[in-house]
Amino acid sequence: MKEGLLIILSLIALTSLCDTINQLFLKSAINYLNFTPTFNIIKIIKFIFQLLIKPRIWLGFVFSVISLCIWLFVLSKVDLNFAFSADSMHYIFIALASNLILKEKFSSLRWLGTGLIVCGIVIVSLS
Amino acid sequence: MFKKKVTLKILLLLIASDILETAVQFFFKKSALAKDGFAVVDMATAVVFFKAVFTSPFLWAGLFTVAVVFIIWSMILAKIDLSVAVPIASFSYILVPIASIIFLHEHITVLRWVGILFILMGVILVSLSSKERIVQEK
Repeated sequence: MKEGLLIILSLIALTSLCDTINQLFLKSAINYLNFTPTFNIIKIIKFIFQLLIKPRIWLGFVFSVISLCIWLFVLSKVDLNFAFSADSMHYIFIALASNLILKEKFSSLRWLGTGLIVCGIVIVSLS
Repeated sequence: MFKKKVTLKILLLLIASDILETAVQFFFKKSALAKDGFAVVDMATAVVFFKAVFTSPFLWAGLFTVAVVFIIWSMILAKIDLSVAVPIASFSYILVPIASIIFLHEHITVLRWVGILFILMGVILVSLSSKERIVQEK
């Protein structure tokens, strides 16, 4: 039981990691295009087309397919509420990645929040 | 740089993405149950498992919703930083357990709610630290 839980948590970590990589590619492509939000459907379609011809979007897509397959396997094994709560560990990856790779800055309060999320995941896993 | 300001339009988009994200997780869970109790032990059984899951209509309903979320999310990320958008979009941490109880009849213990509360508190702190940064930069 304990060993099974560890495997499930590792798989959730893996799916979170793939998801973070996908988010980074997505954010980097959108930053590059410098798109202004609009409800103009032609502009949206044009924006999507511009996104789709960027290779890094497809790289991100590959990672999201891997992430989806692992996620579906995890969901077949455990309750949705547990898996989804544990999946919040992507905050840790997102925090590290947006700080180190996207160079977004944030305070120590943010790290405290991330620490609370870690505590939450531990409690959810123990219950 | 205007990349940190959360407008009403952005907030509405974030709420829509919360609700749709919950729907996505519900659909995915339903599709994962297509082979309930089936043991995946090697490549052959994995193929059988994924064949059943990927032919489930729930999976495709989920993927369609993912596409909608993707478009909404693209519009959000074009306007604000990832470190601001992600915390606000995280109210699905409450919505998903509630949907799990109502639609999937899952049981959630008090201890687990405590854990979820910790996660949500962490998420709120993360959001507050983002706001604090906006004020400081102004």
